[in-house]
Parts: sequence; structure tokens; C-alpha cells
Amino acid sequence: MTYNFAFLDEDTKRMLRRALLKAVAIPGYQVPFGSREMPLPYGWGTGGIQVTAALLGPDDVLKVIDQGADDTTNAVNIRRFFHRVAGVATTEHTAEATLIQTRHRIPETSLREDQILVFQVPEPEPLRTLEPREAETRTLHALADYGLMHVKLYEDIAQYGHIATSYDYPVLVDGRFLTSPSPIPKFDNPKLDRSPALMLFGAGREKRLYAIPPYTSVESLAFDDHPFEIQRWEQQCELCGSGESYLDEVVVDDRGTRMFVCSDTDFCSGHRMEAQA
Amino acid sequence: MMLAAFANPVFDSQSNFRELLQAMARPAVPRTLPVLPPAPAPAAPAAMAIVLTLCDATTSVWLQQPEDEVVRHLRFHAGLKLADRPQDADFALITNPASMPPLDAFACGDMRYPDRSASLIIQLAAINPVAAGGAGNTFAGPGIRDTETVAIDGLPADFWQQRAALAALLPLGIDLFFVAGQQVLALPRTTRLLEG
Repeated sequence: MTYNFAFLDEDTKRMLRRALLKAVAIPGYQVPFGSREMPLPYGWGTGGIQVTAALLGPDDVLKVIDQGADDTTNAVNIRRFFHRVAGVATTEHTAEATLIQTRHRIPETSLREDQILVFQVPEPEPLRTLEPREAETRTLHALADYGLMHVKLYEDIAQYGHIATSYDYPVLVDGRFLTSPSPIPKFDNPKLDRSPALMLFGAGREKRLYAIPPYTSVESLAFDDHPFEIQRWEQQCELCGSGESYLDEVVVDDRGTRMFVCSDTDFCSGHRMEAQA
Repeated sequence: MMLAAFANPVFDSQSNFRELLQAMARPAVPRTLPVLPPAPAPAAPAAMAIVLTLCDATTSVWLQQPEDEVVRHLRFHAGLKLADRPQDADFALITNPASMPPLDAFACGDMRYPDRSASLIIQLAAINPVAAGGAGNTFAGPGIRDTETVAIDGLPADFWQQRAALAALLPLGIDLFFVAGQQVLALPRTTRLLEG
């Protein structure tokens, strides 16, 4: 059995492409689209996969990461899927990729203007946990009424003494739309601001896609007396020694021994190669 | 005899789309469409490339000059709906920009759904790069690192005033593709024309 190039039929690709162009034209706004059933379940990156399928051409080099890693189940499966249905070249090296699909991280290596980053998004609506009704959140976006989110962040400060949100930290795109950066750690939020690379977001189950164009202001919400801060670690990566990357805490035996390692596997191995050279 | 469309519909529309996406993401910078299909007059091949890449039976297109041959060509190759009035169009093909309708004749979206707005494809004689210090239109906004300057000529005299008036409605608005020869240049609603 053969598939159309990149799995989706051409009508679906055109629908996605029209939605993507509107998403880029209205930074941070969630464009509804007709999400298709994909050969893996909702919640496994169907939104990102549909966006990637609409973009992909035979000359692309695709990288897929899951929590920064190229070698986890979700990343391996999606990479293999596109290799099979589009025959595209794949890579684990950030610098070699033209298209990077990601779940929950932005690579540590700076992206370039000729690269596109596609995020898998479980919940595109940043206000959803505060307001369950879609009609109401649409109205709040129309009015740019984001008081609810400021109250939520203030309640964090009142309760914990600091803003306790550590991932999916809400951002304001181009000073207008409150946007979910997808559940990336807030460590990655500064990489969204004025990025040279175009960033596209797809939520398959929720049937929404949105975009952050290059060189666009992306501000993480904060207060004057509680400025936005990213995570920091006392540890360094135990494999490559990096003190700048985002670290995962890994339990390595059944006695509770832990080690801290880079979440970005390509960055980590690159750093180790450099050290050896 | 009817002209052909893309020779390789899947790959030709994919490669054109990637340039359109980069054009929209990096406004006011001309990009080259890799594959142009034949087009009956008055439609230009670059404009036809955009229509065939993006439009199908689910989109309605308004033609400024609905010549029989263009209508037949689009109906046959894209199966698209033709809009009688500009305000009903998802896409509009402007083949004679000097006499185009005012921008506010087109749909600029709904406050809850600003994406339900028109995209205009405007055919120009040329898109001219501007040497440093030369006369042109200077733009800023999302997608532009500092500013971009380019010469866009052949539009109605009050075109930029009309567009500036629509900026007050943001995030509502109209997104523009200018084509000339093999080039495409996009101006999404968020791109601002800076005063000379």
C-alpha cells in the first residue's frame, strides 16, 4: 500500500497551509483547523505531525525531539513515520535540520533563519484551566482581557512567595495575544523572543494551530516586583559538564541515586565530542 | 484550448507553499516562487501559482477581471467557488491594482475569529529592491528584524492610507501577497508602513 507524499491528502494539506498562513499573519492567535485522524492517538503529537506533513518536501532534513531527546519512543516513531511516508532524510543534529518537530523543548543550539520549529501542543488555550468555556476564552482574547492570568500568577506569589509556574509559562506575543508556549520549561521561554527561526504550533485533539513569526516580541508575563526568572541548577551535566543547559534529574538505581544530565541529547553529545577533541 | 496547471501538483504546490510561508513570516522581503504554472490573461503565472497552491472547492475567490478563460481555467483546475462580491471572498485576485476596490470592501474577520479574513493577491509590474538611501516604502513589524525597504508601485493613490486605517482594527485585517514576475512579497496585517 502506498500513501500520498507525507501521508495527508492534498485537500487536507491545502487546508492546513491556508490556516498556517493566517496563523503567521496573526501572531499568537489560535486558528481552528480540521484535524484529521492520524495513525497514532491524540496526545502523541498529532497536531505537530499534521503541521509537519503540510510543510515537508523531498529536500527537507527532519529532526524530531521529545523532551530534548532524539532517542525516546515518541521521537523515534515520528521520525520513522515521516521517513516511511515521505522518504525524507532525518538527522539528530540540530544544525543539520531544516525542520524540527519538538515535544516540550527548544533545542539548546541556536536556531537559524532557514529552520522551522514545529511544536506538539496538548492544550493550546493558556486560559483553559481558568475558564473552561471556549466561547468565553474566545471573547477574552477578542478583548485582550488577560486579568484572569495575572490573578493566577499573583495567587502563586501570595501562596508560595514566587511565581510557581515552571512550564507552559504564559507569554504575550507581539503585545497582543496571550499564548501557550506549549509545555516547554520556562527555561526555554527567552528563546521564543525575537527568534530568527519561524515557530509553528499544532494541537491535534484541540484542532488549533498558531505561530510565532521570527523577530517577534514574546514577553513572559510577570510583575515589576516579581520579574520573570528561568530555572537554575547548582549541578552541572554529569555527562558533558555543561552549566548552561536544561538538566533532567534521572534516578539511576533502586536506592534513589540520582544524576543530572542535559535534556538535549544532541547538545550533550556535541559538548562531549568538543571536550574530547 | 485550456492551459495546463502544475506539472507535479504535490511537489510544485509544496515548494511554492514553503516560499509563501517564509514570505508571510518575513514581510516586505521578496522571495522567488520556484514553479510557475501557465496562466490565461489577465492572470499572471505567479498569481496562478498562489491560487493553485492554496485554493480548492472549499475556498471562494473573487476575480477583479473575471474573463471567461480565467474562470474556466480556475473552475477546472481548482474547482473553486467564485465570489460575486469582494466581501464574500477568502482570496481575491487583483489583476489591475490601479482600479482595485478599496481595502475595506474585503472581509477583515470577526473579533473572535480574525482569521476569517481575505487574502489579496495583487499583480504588480515589478517589485524593486531599494538601494541604501533610495526612495521606497519602509516597513517594520513582526517578522522584520529592524526595518525593510522595498519599492511597491502601481497601487491606487490612497492605498497606504486605506491600509493604515485598517491597522486600527487589529487583530482584524487583510493580508496581502504582491506578485511580479517570479517574485512574491507578503504584507500581513501586522506590518506597519513607516512614515518617510
